[in-house]
Amino acid sequence: MKNLLLATVLIFILVGCSEPSNDVFPNQDIEVIIPYNAGGGFDAYARSLAQYMQKHLPSDVNVLPMNMPGAGGRRGAAHVYRADPDGYTIGIFNMPGILLPQIQGIKIAYDVNELTWLSTLSADGYGITVDDESPINSIDDLKNLGRNVVYGATGPSSTSYIATTIVSELLEIPNEVITGYKGSGEYILGVIRGDVDAAFANYSTIQPYLESGDVKVVAMIGVNSDDPNIKDADDLGVPELANLNVVRMMAGPPGMPEEVKQILEKAMMDALNDPQFEAWLESTGNDATPMNSIETTNSVKDMMVFYDKFKQFLE
Amino acid sequence: MLDLLLNAISDISSVKTILFLVMGVMFGLVFGVIPGLGGTTALAILMPLTFGMNSIEAFAMSGGIMGAVAMGGAISAILLNTPGTAPNAATTLDGYPLAKQGRAAEAIGAAATASPLGGMFGVITLLMVLPVAKELILLFGPPEFFLLAVFGLVTIALSDSSNLLRGLISAGVGLMLAFVGYDTVTGGERFTYGSDYLFDGIPLVPALVGLFGVTEMIHLSITGGKVAGDAGTVKLHGVMKGIKATLSNWKIVIRGSLIGTIIGSIPGVGGTVATFIAYSTTKRADKYPESFGTGRIEGVIAPESANNAKDSGALLPTIAFGIPGSAEMAVFLGILVLHGMQPGPTMLLNNEREIYALIIALTLSAVFSAIIGIALVKWLAMITLVKGQILAPLVIAVSLVGTYAIDSRPGDVVVAAILGMVGYLMLRFNYPRLPLVIALVLGETAERGFLQSMMISQGNWGVFVESVTSIVMVLLILFTLGWSFIPNLIRAKKEARVKSE
Repeated sequence: MKNLLLATVLIFILVGCSEPSNDVFPNQDIEVIIPYNAGGGFDAYARSLAQYMQKHLPSDVNVLPMNMPGAGGRRGAAHVYRADPDGYTIGIFNMPGILLPQIQGIKIAYDVNELTWLSTLSADGYGITVDDESPINSIDDLKNLGRNVVYGATGPSSTSYIATTIVSELLEIPNEVITGYKGSGEYILGVIRGDVDAAFANYSTIQPYLESGDVKVVAMIGVNSDDPNIKDADDLGVPELANLNVVRMMAGPPGMPEEVKQILEKAMMDALNDPQFEAWLESTGNDATPMNSIETTNSVKDMMVFYDKFKQFLE
Repeated sequence: MLDLLLNAISDISSVKTILFLVMGVMFGLVFGVIPGLGGTTALAILMPLTFGMNSIEAFAMSGGIMGAVAMGGAISAILLNTPGTAPNAATTLDGYPLAKQGRAAEAIGAAATASPLGGMFGVITLLMVLPVAKELILLFGPPEFFLLAVFGLVTIALSDSSNLLRGLISAGVGLMLAFVGYDTVTGGERFTYGSDYLFDGIPLVPALVGLFGVTEMIHLSITGGKVAGDAGTVKLHGVMKGIKATLSNWKIVIRGSLIGTIIGSIPGVGGTVATFIAYSTTKRADKYPESFGTGRIEGVIAPESANNAKDSGALLPTIAFGIPGSAEMAVFLGILVLHGMQPGPTMLLNNEREIYALIIALTLSAVFSAIIGIALVKWLAMITLVKGQILAPLVIAVSLVGTYAIDSRPGDVVVAAILGMVGYLMLRFNYPRLPLVIALVLGETAERGFLQSMMISQGNWGVFVESVTSIVMVLLILFTLGWSFIPNLIRAKKEARVKSE
């Protein structure tokens, strides 16, 4: 009887002890919303990172990637925006992809300024890509073509289209954009096949095509060039263009508690610096440009200002 | 090449890898059988599991899935008139009539033989053209895409000469549905009424589940009874007959596989169109084309041989340029990246070993799933003996859940339900449903190809006869049109002469 009593007391103590730790974040699985289909670079980056985030969280919970494709990423953004700000629903976002509709005044079910921005994972600039055998070798060649430069891009509100228009406008390159390609792979193929003269493709996407010698890059936008033959925004005298890139950022619903935010932020930063994750980045031609929550929030504000300036091209 | 193949075989032939392959096959079969779910969903679900595997094991499992869904999908197409996956749609045309006559086992036997044969043929073709893969992919630009879509539409238009007008009306509705959503060329939204769901257009798989699965079950519950009229006619021992029929129709198998490989390699067009063209070509080449649709075993053999061959075709653009040839390949590319590979033109140089392992896995998977299919045929064929009142609610529930499971979008279920009712009306009033599906697939490709070609050529129509590929396609279209009209014209003239005499 005495033993039973003791056991009961012990059980109560144990339960009592474990209770407060139940309140500590995270005590259940965390869902990472990927607003695109499974497959594809965005999805892979998020899935790979989720593995390492899980490893670096203070408690033993799963980080579960969940695809929620639709409306060019807007469906996933709206889902995160509406979720409880308890930290168990966060998302990976393409910026300026989900910011542009807001600037264009399209009816959307989220507000980029209100989301709780947690971190920046990577920033990818553009390479102006031409066929390997193209006579075009520089921005000047593009300007002096004697006709409109024909570019390939995805839809008219896509990041690639907007980058093409803004750069052409600022550098005064007469241009025409063939829209409707289904992704960067397809318009790079269009460049190789000769459908179009050039295309703005993300630098990490071009890597394998550069390696195989199918294409060459005449200028780099939003990323610094180490090659003296390839000009970047600074060399072109328009440093403003360095802001043109595609950034992968993580965010949660508006109003997330500070301590939850810090735990998630730390896990992401640790994951980005995990040697195993770095090895994965290396082998797949991806990279990481980690930024914390405050830097990311400021960077979103800057983006808002930057793209707002080009509002007239975005319609 | 031979040493690469041998290497790949030795890579795959460890117990663990084979185990993962078989696991993929099992998964693929189940996901293939359930309408709505398919290879894409199966791959996406199993993707996280591959984290703990090495890349060869992951590829073995992916190959297992991709090779097996076709077989699974054929089973539901034959037994329930509901294509398990989109490319199985053409199999329903003769497969289901066979099941109704009690010859389900024979039809499954034929599909189970045609699948692996088509798969192997596709792999052989793939291995032969792999060195020139890049050049082949570059043959297709916007003008060629447009012409290919036109070719597909012409094939639908002529697929059923007795019902030409109704077929065209059905295809017209399909085209209209294809234009719903965001237009990537002009950036406009069409018929979306401000809905985020319609922004992405009418999705193919829910449409198929509705038009075939739901429709058929409404029909079954209204007419009452069972799929196969009465139990006495059901032959459970027809498997050997089906196998023999496939082997003796080897020409149809080869033609179907060739069509599957070629059309499968063209991104955005894919399996649904490939199997349909294989079906209608076989029908047209037959002595008694009008007997198709009433339960001809050739009508099962042709699309099913194309169905497994298309995976090899879809691998071509995936390997050569990192552009997925099908939805399954898109997820597969994701698995590649997770395993530290870089899709794109360098894959053939850097990841040769893994690619060959996948090719072997695809072949083995087709064989394994066929063996499983044949082994289960007796039990599967019993489904045709289940009463409609029990079968219909079950199949409708499973298909709608499957539809929801793809992307967890409630709108998908609504599309399936609405098109299910539309499909039932079409069935009642004798409108063919497949033209609607094919037009839904091809509408976007046709429009995009046309607009892009016109932008590139600055309004010059000559762009459609500029390359050798497009000239060949134009001739193919004219030939197909002529093939069906000229004999009729000659006959009409003869009759006129007879009359005047």
